[in-house]
Amino acid sequence: MKEFKLENESKITTGFKTPENYFNDFSAKVLNQINEGEVKVIPIYKRKKVLAMLAAAVVFIALMIPVVNNYNNTSKDLDANTLETYLAYQSNLNQYDLINQLDTKDIESLNNNVALEKETLEDILSSNPNIESLISE
Amino acid sequence: MTDEKEFIAQLLNPKTQNTAFQKLLSDYQRPLYSHIRNIVLNHDDADDVLQNTFVKIFQYLKNFKGESKLFSWMYRIATNEALTFLNQKAKLSGITSEALQNKTIDNLKADVYFDGDEIQIKLQKAIVTLPEKQQLVFKMKYFEELKYEEIAEILGTSVGALKASYHHAVKKIELYVTSN
Repeated sequence: MKEFKLENESKITTGFKTPENYFNDFSAKVLNQINEGEVKVIPIYKRKKVLAMLAAAVVFIALMIPVVNNYNNTSKDLDANTLETYLAYQSNLNQYDLINQLDTKDIESLNNNVALEKETLEDILSSNPNIESLISE
Repeated sequence: MTDEKEFIAQLLNPKTQNTAFQKLLSDYQRPLYSHIRNIVLNHDDADDVLQNTFVKIFQYLKNFKGESKLFSWMYRIATNEALTFLNQKAKLSGITSEALQNKTIDNLKADVYFDGDEIQIKLQKAIVTLPEKQQLVFKMKYFEELKYEEIAEILGTSVGALKASYHHAVKKIELYVTSN
């Protein structure tokens, strides 16, 4: 086969063609795309920013959960302990002090409790076979 | 050079931007189209890549430092866009870039926007066997008839290295066409 030499050949073109009027319409197409792009860019950027802030907030809250839980737990323990210690060793509270602190509502609820207790008492007494010995006492 | 500086200033000034960009489009759409078409080979892909190239040129204009010429800067963007496009297309089809190009060349025969015959197809097939850099150099020198100095600016290599690259490319192509 004859040796092929590029320089001996007449110039080989690419053979590539373009559609008719392609370059006439091309700049309008690009300018449209650029203008569309400019309008679109802003909301996407903003949405990204909001999403990023939302993600940051979620992460922050998630990180805070164990801290908040522990904080509540320890404060409850402390309160109970302190109160107990205070009542047991530090205060001069007696029955009269407690009664003075009661208001009408407390007394009413106490009465209700007592009423219930009466019924229970009757039940116990009626079902108790040794009721005579209890009465005689 | 001062003309170019002035032109870039017009491109960046919101008042003159539209007119200047239209001028840029009409001056460069044809050479950049040829450059991209030579890389991606079919018209529809070249159309997509050319549009993306101009959109990128518009977006990045404000970052253009004037260290290189506007011409070579735009050619660089076009080259990168075209090569990225080819690689993505090959990846999506699950084949190598070379296999994709061979497939595209086979499809050229049926392409309405191609009126070449056997020798054009054979030449394209020979080019695909070259390394990427040599392909670019050959296409820019032989088809687009750019000067070595211009290609050197676009590809960021020395003129000497380009001449050697082109020489190698021509030898390999001649060998391929002779034996096929």
